[in-house]
Parts: sequence; C-alpha cells; structure tokens
Amino acid sequence: MSGYAIEAVGLRRTYRSRTGWLRPQRREVEAVRGVDLTVGNGELFGLLGPNGAGKTTTIKLLNTLLIPTAGTARVCGHDVVTQTREVRRRIGYVFGGDRGLYDRLSARDNLRYFAELYGVPAREQKRRIAELLDLVRLTGREQERVEGYSRGMRQRLHIARGLLHRPRVLFLDEPSIGVDPVAARELRRTVADLAATGTTVLLTTHYMAEADELCDRIAVIANGTIQALGTPAELRHHADGRQVLEVEAYGVADAQLAAIHALPGVREASVTVTGATQVLTVQSDAGVDVQAAVLRELDGVRLGRVTARQPTLEDAYVAIVNRINAPTRPLEAVGG
Amino acid sequence: MALFRLIGTGGVIAYRALFNWTTPSMFIGSLLVGPIFQLLFFAYLGRQLGVADDRFYIVGNAVLAASLSCVFGGTMAVANERRFGTLGHVLLSPRSRTAVFLGRVLPYAGNGLLIAASTLTVGALLLGLRVPVRALPGLLLALAVAALACGFFGLTLGALGLRFRDVWVVSNVSVALLLLLTGVNVPAAGLPGWMRAVGEALPITHAARGARQLAAGEGLAAAAPALAAEAAVGLGYALLAAALLKIFEAESRRRASLDAL
Repeated sequence: MSGYAIEAVGLRRTYRSRTGWLRPQRREVEAVRGVDLTVGNGELFGLLGPNGAGKTTTIKLLNTLLIPTAGTARVCGHDVVTQTREVRRRIGYVFGGDRGLYDRLSARDNLRYFAELYGVPAREQKRRIAELLDLVRLTGREQERVEGYSRGMRQRLHIARGLLHRPRVLFLDEPSIGVDPVAARELRRTVADLAATGTTVLLTTHYMAEADELCDRIAVIANGTIQALGTPAELRHHADGRQVLEVEAYGVADAQLAAIHALPGVREASVTVTGATQVLTVQSDAGVDVQAAVLRELDGVRLGRVTARQPTLEDAYVAIVNRINAPTRPLEAVGG
Repeated sequence: MALFRLIGTGGVIAYRALFNWTTPSMFIGSLLVGPIFQLLFFAYLGRQLGVADDRFYIVGNAVLAASLSCVFGGTMAVANERRFGTLGHVLLSPRSRTAVFLGRVLPYAGNGLLIAASTLTVGALLLGLRVPVRALPGLLLALAVAALACGFFGLTLGALGLRFRDVWVVSNVSVALLLLLTGVNVPAAGLPGWMRAVGEALPITHAARGARQLAAGEGLAAAAPALAAEAAVGLGYALLAAALLKIFEAESRRRASLDAL
C-alpha cells in the first residue's frame, strides 16, 4: 500500500457547458490544470487560493464526486475513478455554508440517517453519535430541528457528520466560512484535535491565520495550478526581501491605487474594505522607503493609522497569487 | 440486516426529511381531503353526463388518490436533496444506491395506500356505494399494488431530477396524464388507441380495472390478471428507476451535471 493518504498526478478537469437552444453556445473552462500533490498519512494539509482557483474542484476530484478529464488520483491507495466505493468508505467530507443538512430533522436524526448511509454498524451508531455530539459541543441541543441552528452549530454538525464512519481522510472545504470568531476558534481546535488522532486532513480556506495555525504544509493554488508548496514558514520566504506598509484610508480611488502600484520599489498594492474603512496594503522592496511617495499619491484622501511591518504568510500568499498575472509563471516548490 | 435497516430506518428518516406534506394540516388538506373532493367532482359530472355509474368513479378515484403522494414524493426524494444541498453527501455514500432509494419508495407507497383506502371509504359512504365485505381484502391488495407501482413510477421521475433541474414540471404533467390516460375518470374505450396504449404502460390503469372487478363482486381470481399486470408495470418502473439513477449519477461525475453541493 502507498505511504500517502492522497496522491494526485497531473490532475486536470475541464467543465463544458452549453447555453441557449436555437443558437447554442459552448463554453469550456479549465478549472484544474495539472495538479500534482501528495499528502502523507496523518498530515494536515492546506489548499489555499482565491475564489475560482480550483480548490473545490480539486476536492471533488479527490472525493469521487467528479471524474478527472486527465491525470490520476488515489486516496488511501485506491483509485478515485475506478474504486469509488473503497475510497468513499475511507473519506469524510465537510464543507462550509448553511446548506447540506436536513433542516426538518434534528441533529441526532441527521446523524442517524448519515450513519446508515455511511455504513456505521447499528450496534455502534448510538454510541458514535453521542461521542460526536460531545466532540462538536452539541450535546443538549441534539433534539432540536437543524433549521433553528446558528451557522456555527451547523458547521459543527457538518464536522460530526463527516466523522461518523471514522474516515482516514477528511476533506474540509472552507469549514469556517461565515462563522464568527469564537465559533471559528472552536472549529480550529476540533480540526487540530482530529489531526492529533492521526486523521489525514485536507483543508481549504481563505483565512491565512487558520492555515498558518493548523497546517503542516500548504499548497497555494491559483488559476488551476499549484503555484507554491511548503510549510507555512517556507511559504513566508516568498515575501523575503519585502516590507509592508498599511494605511487606513477613506476613499482611495482605482486610479490612485494604480499610481501607487507603479511607484518605484512597489511590488504589490491592494485595498481591502472593512466596514467604512479601506486598508491599503503596499508591499515594497525592503531597501526602498515608499511611505512618503505613497502618502503623496493619497493626497486629498482622509487617512487613519499608517503602519510599517514585516511580511506575514498572507503577504506571501498575495505575492504568490499575484504572480500569475506575470507573463511567465514557473512552479515554485519551496522545500517540503 | 444492515441492508434492511438502510431500506427501513433510512427510508423513514428520509421521508421525514424530504416529504413536504408531513405536517398534519398539509397531510390532511392535500392528501386526504383533496382527493375526496376530486372524487365527488367526477362522480357528479359522471352522473350529469351519464358516462358511468358511481362505482366507476369511486373506485377509479380511490386508486388515483394513491398516486398523488407517490408521484410528488418520488420527485421530492431527489429534488429536495438539491434544495437542502445534501445530494452530494448522499452520493458519497458507499452503500447501494438501489437500497438507499428503494427505502425511500416504501413510505410513499404506504402513504398512497392509506390515502387510497381513506378515499374509497369516504367516497363509498358519501355516495352510498355498497362494496361486498368479501371483496375488501382483494381491494386492499389492489390498492397496495397500485401504490407500490406509483411509488416506483415516482422514483423514476425523481431519478430524472438527477439530470434535469426543473423536474417538477415532469411531475405536474405526469399527474395530469394519470388523470387522463389510466381510465380512472375517462373510460378507456372512449380514448384514442395511442392514448390507451400509453395508459397501459402507466401505473394505476390495471389496478383500477382489477379494483372495479373486485368491487363488482367478481372475486380475486377474476381480478388477478389485472393486478399481475399492475405489479409488472411497477417492477418495470423499479428497474427503470434503478437504471436511471445509476446512469445519471455516472453522468454527473463525468459532466459535472449536478450542482451536488
């Protein structure tokens, strides 16, 4: 048997769609364009990438819901195309969001039904469900209909469902999306506990802090290919030789952002919006002080706090993902 | 044993999770009371037009009543998985699809039998139809066979829900076709040949014929061929549903045709 829990070689997936009846238009989208990765037994592996990068498609290829257009993948040594039943017995799947549960049923009945579907022996079901309700801290609320659950409670129930049959590999597709910070912290604790018990976890997330805290290794995927792969510490090297300037602002225009991006020494510039505040993040070469030039470009914009700091994993991620707009985009494997 | 649990326990939980009409008001209003008014409508219309006697309409509409929960239930069994976003999790089950979905048919068929028996009883009481007591076991059998055949017919429609998003259109049309083509309200002799031929392949047609023979006191032996034909139609739909579920699931993996998650 293979030493890896997950192996993918040259995995590709093209979606073909057709719209219109009289004059049909066909469209092809290459969601995954040759993904190679291996995940060791018991490893907690992160798959990071922007929206539409191919994360969920990669997971659906690995968990048997989709067939690859090209390439191969094996989970626990079993081929995901031809040995679906063997693969399904060994995997659990959890995804983020409000859906995916039977709203009219209680948490207990949701788990009872999926225990039947996932082949949990009858004599074990009651004990296993009680264990899992306890693990995800839903004991005492298990008789309530799921339609009344908060998003955090639903997420925890998703995790319980994914673990019913003691899977060797657990796919977590953005499990903390839309969950409040306290619930997200609880989720992270649950995921860390799982990995500690030897379950292999493949986690996709948008949250760098989550990936940094939990993952043994991280692959950054963008535009359907893996752009970088390594431990969180190794990935941070992608931002080596840079410094970061953060400026709180109110009303930065696109033209000003473009002008900042064009300043000498500036490598990345982006704006994120938090409530009424914009946060302008500028990555620049470490030896170049761009603060004065940036503030000059922001003339007329109301400004708040201005901070200079060292790059984080998130800055490294931004650097990796933004590189795909460059004309050439070689795969960089940093250690690991 | 595990297989029986999947079919029995799993089927009942899935029914509670996916059937829209489980609340008392919906169940009584849509499934118990509605068919009785439909029966009365056709019975009085039949009297006015002199097409057939009350027995024709009472028995025919009682058998037809079995179809309502089955046709829509079968559709809900798949379409509501899409609604709740649970279809992907069901398809990730390593268990037999046939067993999973067969289990879903049985509660709907049970529902159908209950509704048909209730419609027959109330219709007979309201319109004064006397059914021989010795015919009752046979009538119950006819209604049970009809309900089961309808259950598999509904599951076939549900299977289409794996491929086509707007499967409710198919269910609505199917209910109208059952009303028209199965001879429950329009005597088969009055239909064009091709409609009669289509009706022969639909559930209810043969069960309604057998049930009328039983209600007329002809005995189970006389009704047996019609009931056997109904069972054969039901079996045909069971096989068709199993095949479609397999084909459409395989296709969904190949073509990503399901918005599975």
